[in-house]
Amino acid sequence: MLESIITFLTQWLGEDTGATLAYISNGKHLAWYASVRFTLITAVAGAGCAVLFGLLGAAMKRSSFLPFKLAGDFYTTIVRGIPDVLFIIFFPLAFEQAVEFLMSRVKCSPEAIAAATQWPPCDAAQWYLGTGHYLTMACISLGIVYGAFAANVIHGAMQAVPRGQLEAAAAYGFTPRQVFWRFQVRQMWIYALPGLSNVWMLLLKATSFLSLLQIPDIVLWADRLGSANYFPIKGLVHPDWRWKYYLVLFVFFILLTLLSECFFAILQARASRGIAIPEGGE
Amino acid sequence: MMFESLLQSPFMQDVITLGKPALFNLYFALASIPLGFPFAVLLAVGKASNNRLISLLSRVYIYAFRGSPLFIQLFMCYSMMLALNQPLWKPWGIDHIVLHPLFLGPTVLILNTSAYAAEIFYGAMAAVPRGEIEAALSVGMKPRQIFRSVTWPNMLRLAWPAYTNEMVFLFHATTLIYFTLPVINEQKDLMNKAGELFERDYNVFLHFGVAALYFLSISILIFWVAGMIQRHLNKHITGAKTRLWFKPKYLR
Repeated sequence: MLESIITFLTQWLGEDTGATLAYISNGKHLAWYASVRFTLITAVAGAGCAVLFGLLGAAMKRSSFLPFKLAGDFYTTIVRGIPDVLFIIFFPLAFEQAVEFLMSRVKCSPEAIAAATQWPPCDAAQWYLGTGHYLTMACISLGIVYGAFAANVIHGAMQAVPRGQLEAAAAYGFTPRQVFWRFQVRQMWIYALPGLSNVWMLLLKATSFLSLLQIPDIVLWADRLGSANYFPIKGLVHPDWRWKYYLVLFVFFILLTLLSECFFAILQARASRGIAIPEGGE
Repeated sequence: MMFESLLQSPFMQDVITLGKPALFNLYFALASIPLGFPFAVLLAVGKASNNRLISLLSRVYIYAFRGSPLFIQLFMCYSMMLALNQPLWKPWGIDHIVLHPLFLGPTVLILNTSAYAAEIFYGAMAAVPRGEIEAALSVGMKPRQIFRSVTWPNMLRLAWPAYTNEMVFLFHATTLIYFTLPVINEQKDLMNKAGELFERDYNVFLHFGVAALYFLSISILIFWVAGMIQRHLNKHITGAKTRLWFKPKYLR
């Protein structure tokens, strides 16, 4: 069955197209297509973390307790002044060392710790990280970085909710807590969505850094597949084709951006149901 | 004595070691702004153009470079340049210049930043007060004159805060160059050097912390310089927001 389909396709498309189809559907290429999952998982989970950190940061910035407010401002300012790549590389390393430090206190003898010249102090404290660990940490570090951006967006959106709405709610006898959760936070999303969509686009582009954490993502595969391919029996299969593979990634990310724009347009339309926004306003 | 022991501290040693690498980051940013700025203005004018084809081409360019990661753009441009090495650069004898990171890095950054900045300038151009353009038309100015004396100064003034933000982003983006392009000898930027120092003694907080401090202080420096230019641009406006501090729009 399958064979006849392939024969038919080869006859219909010609020998060259058949060969191209066979080439781009070989095992390594299928692994490349499958590695898109890392990008998508990180984007979605990272966005979830970013919204969480954003809400936390915005709450801290709004806090009337001065240390909290300062901590919130510090977080959003410091993260903004440092490149995201530095965080994405720094955070997993720092976390790994912290875990290894704790493990060394438990597993290594005090003599070994005192005499140690290497890190970790003894082999038992070594923590070997897999792709899953790195993926989790990449999500959290993206969450921290873009959470700072989201915190500013959410903070601004909370201010943008019309005061009259909140006063009306208070006049109806809602407690301050209810006013906050049922009115301010509910209505905030519509003002926050354009900014959050911007943060999502940044985060989506930052998912291309996964290869820096040894995660076999689309970028790493593109590099492997594109490099000049030489087999002793077959000779040179193809010269350096990396530019073709990176061109595919370039287009892939543009399509992803296009798709996200459509998605956010729908979300915005849904969120603004029943809310009158002045033309040309926020 | 006190000063010397301070100088010998690991922190100060790191600050000194990372001083030269910081210059590489600064070089990449400074080399791409003088060309990126006019190219961005051209793209913005192109996007706003009445000519359908020019407008479409500018739109596609801006969308493509804003919609894809710089990391991929760097890889793509570098591999394309490598593929063109045998047919073009080698015969012309310019392969050493064209493939050098100190040339190719700023080139890709220019392509990238001009797309982002063009979007900023396009937005600012749309926000130029209509009344001023109508006034210029009514006194009989030609389109070229209107652009030079009305649209351009207004656009620059309106776009400046966002453009400052973009310059800081550009500076941060310089970290990606040596992750994608080959590192030649001791020509290392902050991240390379911090990574190298880290591999010696695994002190992640010290080395990356000092690198982060460098980024932070240079970012603040950029805001400070841009703030002075902002004040200059807004000199004629009374009561204008003159302070441009570390509170940029958190959008790109």
